[in-house]
Amino acid sequence: MSTATIEHAAVAADGHGHEHHHHDLPWYRKYVFSTDHKVIAKQFMLSSMFFLFIGGVFALFIRWQLAYPGQPIPIIGSILPDTWVTEAGSGIITPEFYTQLLTMHGSIMIFFVVIPFAAGMFGNFCIPLMIGTDDMALPRLNMWSFWLVPPAGLIMMAGFFTQTGYAAAGWTSYPPLSAQTGLDTFTISGQTLWTISVFLVGFSSIMGGVNYVTTVLNKRAKGMKLFDMPLTVWGLFITAILVTLGTPVLAAGLAMLFMDNFLHTSFFLPDNLVTSQKYFGGGQPVLFQHVFWFYSHPAVYIMILPLMGIVSDVMATFSRKPIYGYKAMVFAIAGIAFLGFIVWGHHMFQSGMNPLLGTTFMLSTIVIAVPSSIKVFNWLGTLWRGNIKFSTAMLNALAFVSMFIIGGLSGVFMASAPVDIYIHDTYFIVAHIHYVLFGGSLFGIFAGIYYWYPKMYGKMLNERLGRQHFILTFITFNLTFFPMHVLGLGGHMRRIYDPNVYDFLKGLSDVNEIITIGAIALGFSQLILVFNVVWSLKVGKKAPRNPWRANSLEWAAPEHPGHGNFDQDITVYRGPYEFSVEGRTSDYWPQWEPGASKTVNHKTVVLEDDTKTFGAH
Amino acid sequence: MDFILSMFDMLNWFPENISTFGHELDNLFAIIYWVSVAIFFITFGVLGYFLVKYRYRRDARGYNYHGNNIVEITWTILPTILFAGIGLYSDDIWERTKYSSRLPKADVSILVMGKQFGWQFLYPGADGKFGRNAYTDRDNCRKLMSSTNPFGIDSTDQASMDDFTSENQFKVPVNANLVFHGSSQDVLHSFFLPHARVKQDVVPGTWMNIWCNLFKAGKYELACAELCGGGHYSMRAEYEVLSKSAYDEWVDKKVAEAIAARSPQPAAPVADTTKVASLTK
Repeated sequence: MSTATIEHAAVAADGHGHEHHHHDLPWYRKYVFSTDHKVIAKQFMLSSMFFLFIGGVFALFIRWQLAYPGQPIPIIGSILPDTWVTEAGSGIITPEFYTQLLTMHGSIMIFFVVIPFAAGMFGNFCIPLMIGTDDMALPRLNMWSFWLVPPAGLIMMAGFFTQTGYAAAGWTSYPPLSAQTGLDTFTISGQTLWTISVFLVGFSSIMGGVNYVTTVLNKRAKGMKLFDMPLTVWGLFITAILVTLGTPVLAAGLAMLFMDNFLHTSFFLPDNLVTSQKYFGGGQPVLFQHVFWFYSHPAVYIMILPLMGIVSDVMATFSRKPIYGYKAMVFAIAGIAFLGFIVWGHHMFQSGMNPLLGTTFMLSTIVIAVPSSIKVFNWLGTLWRGNIKFSTAMLNALAFVSMFIIGGLSGVFMASAPVDIYIHDTYFIVAHIHYVLFGGSLFGIFAGIYYWYPKMYGKMLNERLGRQHFILTFITFNLTFFPMHVLGLGGHMRRIYDPNVYDFLKGLSDVNEIITIGAIALGFSQLILVFNVVWSLKVGKKAPRNPWRANSLEWAAPEHPGHGNFDQDITVYRGPYEFSVEGRTSDYWPQWEPGASKTVNHKTVVLEDDTKTFGAH
Repeated sequence: MDFILSMFDMLNWFPENISTFGHELDNLFAIIYWVSVAIFFITFGVLGYFLVKYRYRRDARGYNYHGNNIVEITWTILPTILFAGIGLYSDDIWERTKYSSRLPKADVSILVMGKQFGWQFLYPGADGKFGRNAYTDRDNCRKLMSSTNPFGIDSTDQASMDDFTSENQFKVPVNANLVFHGSSQDVLHSFFLPHARVKQDVVPGTWMNIWCNLFKAGKYELACAELCGGGHYSMRAEYEVLSKSAYDEWVDKKVAEAIAARSPQPAAPVADTTKVASLTK
């Protein structure tokens, strides 16, 4: 049976051999404007890695300036464009360019790296495979959701060619700074392009989100109940709901900001500003912050919930254990998502919002620590009495959990509004966001890449390189971001070009230097990952069908699935986490293998075991 | 080695506190910090223990166990109690430091105006009362605001005569309730006094109430904490906390200067021509 299946699979993979699927698509429909969810996932992966590189280089510019203010950037300093540096060839960046750097670093990393990685790449790759279907419900919409990203990226980067350079009001782009550029009406500035670009990626997210929700609700394999879905799918599904509800609000805010910026309306501009620019007045600057954070706080969860799901799956597989409290995990994800919509004001404690609202938002924010801690406890419970194998994917997943604990705990400080008075807008916040978004999301993304690369490309990644990448990243990550807490407590404001202006920050220059050394090492460590991904594609060991001996449906698909994914009909008989069931010889029990069981005293009891070897290797 | 250890004793890194409510904020930080440290060591201890104890063994198997509702409920309720406690305790301090209704009676009132890239301060002068300006008479005087008259002072008002301004520095008396009303003339700025544990964004078009009471004389710094453009980093000001008598002396001097500068020409209020008035008015 198994040999026959594998041969059949090979045909399907190589020749796009499925009877009714597109025969002999032209190359540009196969690799460029493809509607195959797996190709789209790879496209998202490529574009995100490209932007990760750009965003990372920008971050290193920022770090250099903070550690060595006023000193020329080494090696590439002399070839930087004249508009970036104090004088041609000096290699010393200007304060104006510094604010552009921090704006572009944040915007690229959030809108073009983490969200496309988390929702775009994993959403596309995992959802159809893990619910046992051939493709997304709306494949063409899916294609468009990717193809809005490269033009959006180009539009944002095109800010370089405008009079004012890139957008420079921070990734949050608070008006009036972002609304008033000092240019005439109908003049495009970097900020105008930023607004258009983010609007477009938002649109891409919405198309993806609508598609994911539809697919999960309509296209699950026969027998698959919602509570038979792996947590990865749950994470992505709930994320998709967040995206569909939140992003239109951001789009509204961006549209208003665009009009203020480009047409000189005054949604966010009050009367009587001292400015040379013509405008109407009567607007409210803080309104933008409300609209922006109403999306951008849920966006924080858009960037972490899918990874929480992925990490759960990786941990269950490599601990050979069912997820501890599967339903509690689902409810915790849903709880975080729901609460995520009523906590946005905690970004605005010091913004001039009525302090009474501060009380409300503080209490709702602190409540969100509860589902987060439920998740952490359940991950620990999953490890308990497991048989833990430290593969690269597992190491990254464990790093996710531990860094998420630190990032979560540092979140409690700023959730407490009075403590936030001092640490708001300091490096403490920067440390927190990087512990959650890099320590959390990015380690989760690495875990996912190592875990699914075999199914994506049909090759195994090199585990040795993977381990080296992990260890270097883990150490340099902490070296870079932990000391930022110290900077923040010393009062070091974020987004300042030169800390030496202030006497009270003078004692922190050593810390700034340590961080920069860490950041450079962290940046270079990522080259190992790039090398591994490219090298393994060429010379990697051929991946077996189910290399990790996991249970979820993607491992029932051929080694390198072609268009249409599966080489036979899939029926689901049980949940995705039946590891180490007593009374079975193999320590995993895939969802697609016929048989019956029931749960007694929190343990699975086999009623009928009709295992065929399909899917085993 | 000491340097590395000192990095983890977070409480040492704060600048010296000079504000009466600063202790409460710092203590609250310390409480959350030590609770976090405890949670950190417990969770990392458990994590490390599990990783070592249950590491891969060829002949071993995982334990098929799906979780237990009693355990789930326990570890839902315990953090809820802990975090709700922190929340309620925090709220008490928050209300006292930020609620407008809890603003103390002012011993000294100062208007603060942020601009790209600097700070302006307006004192009420000898009479302790502001004349008509963009704060006291918002409807009529906001439109007088300009780069040369950032507070929109109506110079025809006699009460304005002794109001004096100060740029990028201000002085306050020690042990007095200082009430600031802050605004901005262009973009968002944030009024950040690190030693006084004060931070409040100032928003154009509206006035923020900020207060503190400083118990230690000396020279300190004010920074802008909200990105406001290329010169954001340089938006620094100094302030000096003086003894009551030294402060009174300084005020008298400034009032005399202000009156001398203004007295000859009580001109009618004219909107500054460097500024384009809003089109709706």
